[in-house]
Amino acid sequence: MTRNFLLTTALAALSATPLMAVERAEVVDSYADIAAAKYEDSLIAARNLADKVDALIASPSAEALQHARAAWIEARVPYQQTEVYRFGNPIVDDWEGKVNAWPLDEGLIDYVDAAYGGASVENDLAALNVVANPHFTLSGQEIDASEITPELLSDTLHEADGIEANVATGYHAIEFLLWGQDLSGTQSGAGERPWTDYAKGDACTHDNCDRRGEYLAAAADLLVSDLEWMAAQWAEGGAARAAVTENPDAGIAMMLTGMGSLSYGEQAGERMRLGLMLNDPEEEHDCFSDNTHNSHYYDGLGVQNTYLGEYVRRDGTLISGPSLSDLVAETDPALDDEMRAKLAHTMFALARIKTAAEAGFAYDQMLARGDAGGEALIMGGVDALIDQTRTIERVVSTLGGDRIAFEGSDSLDNPGAVFQ
Amino acid sequence: MKHLLLAALIALAPLPAAAQEDRQEIVDDVVQNHVLPRFETLAAQAQNLAQTAQADCKADSPVLRAAYGDAFDAWVAASHLRLGPTEVDDRAFALAFWPDSRGVTPRVLAGLIEEEDPIAFSPEDYADVSIAARGFYALEFLLYDERISSLGASGYRCALVRTVSGDIANLSAAILRGWREGYAETMTHPAPDGAYRDTGEALKALFQTLTTGLEFTIDLRLGRPLGTFDHPRPKRAEAWRSGRSARHVMLSLATLGDLAGRLAADAPALHMELDAAVARAAGRLADLDDPIFAGVSDPESRIRIEALQQMVIDIREMVRKDLGPDLGVSAGFNALDGD
Repeated sequence: MTRNFLLTTALAALSATPLMAVERAEVVDSYADIAAAKYEDSLIAARNLADKVDALIASPSAEALQHARAAWIEARVPYQQTEVYRFGNPIVDDWEGKVNAWPLDEGLIDYVDAAYGGASVENDLAALNVVANPHFTLSGQEIDASEITPELLSDTLHEADGIEANVATGYHAIEFLLWGQDLSGTQSGAGERPWTDYAKGDACTHDNCDRRGEYLAAAADLLVSDLEWMAAQWAEGGAARAAVTENPDAGIAMMLTGMGSLSYGEQAGERMRLGLMLNDPEEEHDCFSDNTHNSHYYDGLGVQNTYLGEYVRRDGTLISGPSLSDLVAETDPALDDEMRAKLAHTMFALARIKTAAEAGFAYDQMLARGDAGGEALIMGGVDALIDQTRTIERVVSTLGGDRIAFEGSDSLDNPGAVFQ
Repeated sequence: MKHLLLAALIALAPLPAAAQEDRQEIVDDVVQNHVLPRFETLAAQAQNLAQTAQADCKADSPVLRAAYGDAFDAWVAASHLRLGPTEVDDRAFALAFWPDSRGVTPRVLAGLIEEEDPIAFSPEDYADVSIAARGFYALEFLLYDERISSLGASGYRCALVRTVSGDIANLSAAILRGWREGYAETMTHPAPDGAYRDTGEALKALFQTLTTGLEFTIDLRLGRPLGTFDHPRPKRAEAWRSGRSARHVMLSLATLGDLAGRLAADAPALHMELDAAVARAAGRLADLDDPIFAGVSDPESRIRIEALQQMVIDIREMVRKDLGPDLGVSAGFNALDGD
């Protein structure tokens, strides 16, 4: 309490701004409005996905599977743009593992290729195969999975045994159930799960089609309810909105933390550079569907639109409001230009990857050992993301002076300190 | 640890930060007397490792293992300095791919050995190989892992040991060259159009290597084997196959203690406090007498390892809350952000 009081006083004294200036409170308000719109769009798209999944299970066909896959790809567009909220907002960060955990040991869920192997040193449950096993033992407990429900997935299976690779829920579990494993290595090609994996009676392939359908439906329903919860957090009166708007200085710190952490440690590092350095297609973010180029692109777009304070909704509506850009331009127009230029350059580099992938050069192929063209494309994105992080740090200094300290990767010591 | 939860803590910094010329002196000192000597040692030890491997490539050769240990020591002492030349061509990633939570290193090495992939015959071509099969952690598998060190044909494994060692020497030499031929100048002579626009940015970058280095030791070197109380993970300790897990924590305390001391050059009281905290943690570690943190599984010894981790957390807090404001810098984003 004392700490916040001091902080508010100090910052108020510091930011004695001229009349007509953009208020920090307006900037965090528009941030929350845009977040609310993105999660609402994600929710609408997830409901559509759940409908298509139900249709696939009710009358399985190649066409129905294709519709469900298309709905999944569409659902990723708004969702990926919300990833910029993860690292700065504890409410989002604590929750996001339910919907977007990755990478996963998919053998937990369903059948896998023999080359996948069995249980590993790191994970006893890596090949559990819940679809095929209505009863199993988990951490010494007998589990009855004869009925596959959303609760079974979220309360028992997800992160079972305390292992993060046991991803039982969310986009990537659904992705695996729609596409199957991508067995083409660093060649072109996504997973090739046949629609008959959901067929009825004798037409069923790989056994347990009914249980597989039950799993898929449960995972899709769970995604919808998880997104309902998050959309409510950002609506008027929601806790996530309150966390950024109650103290606009803290809110701005959270905005910038999200932008920088996603750009650097997560996207440039974990998601892009690591896969390239390992030449490992399993490090692809949307590996089953080969949608990784889009996943990267919309992550980048989320960072850019957070700075610019504008977002185009899935129905085409443009939402915009007072932005970080406005705020920076008031004190340091050159820095605002620099930030805008770097964000635009990143989007250019990510669009190159997307364009090449859509023209037939799959992201897997870009990761192949010795593929100079693929390496240049991916490193173009990585370098741009790293470079924009440097400028985000300059924005932090400009908006906060020496008074806002952005802590690194951990608040284990006192996570609630800012938000009380 | 998937969710290294991020929060933006807002703290009030005391108004007076170190004066401009003092800050420049600190940057100069750190570059000349902390950074350069470490990369010189690394380059020399890596060269020695490559030569030793040429003479004797057997996995259980005492001379080879000793040369490996010396070179790995030199890397750990420099491993926090992730700036400029280490980041070019993925050099630091290729020297040190760890943690490997998906077991990629043994998988790629086994693939190379089983196929007798000819890429293993040239350290230069080897730069195209997955980083998981390069550097000190891959070499540890080749020298110490029961399965990998005896897999396939011994002649091929021998070539692989020599090539990985040669690649380590090439990478280490390139990093040193990068510092000597430009980057030391870049850091110590900031320019408006340079990588560092002013002394403050250079100082911030060096400060950040300290905080990130401490976090690496807290979250990975200690945090990984600790796991949770219900699920301790001794086999996730760093370099346990060669029995080096605790040694790496000791080396990291020493090298980060040196850096912290230099950064605190103008704050004698804080300097002494940091030295004392580092010495306490080092003493606690020595008392554990547990080279691979096997004790994480036993509640009694586990408590003592947790206490050690807490002592390093306390050092990091001192660095963030006292040293940073003293220098007028704060840590920016780091590579451990994310999940």
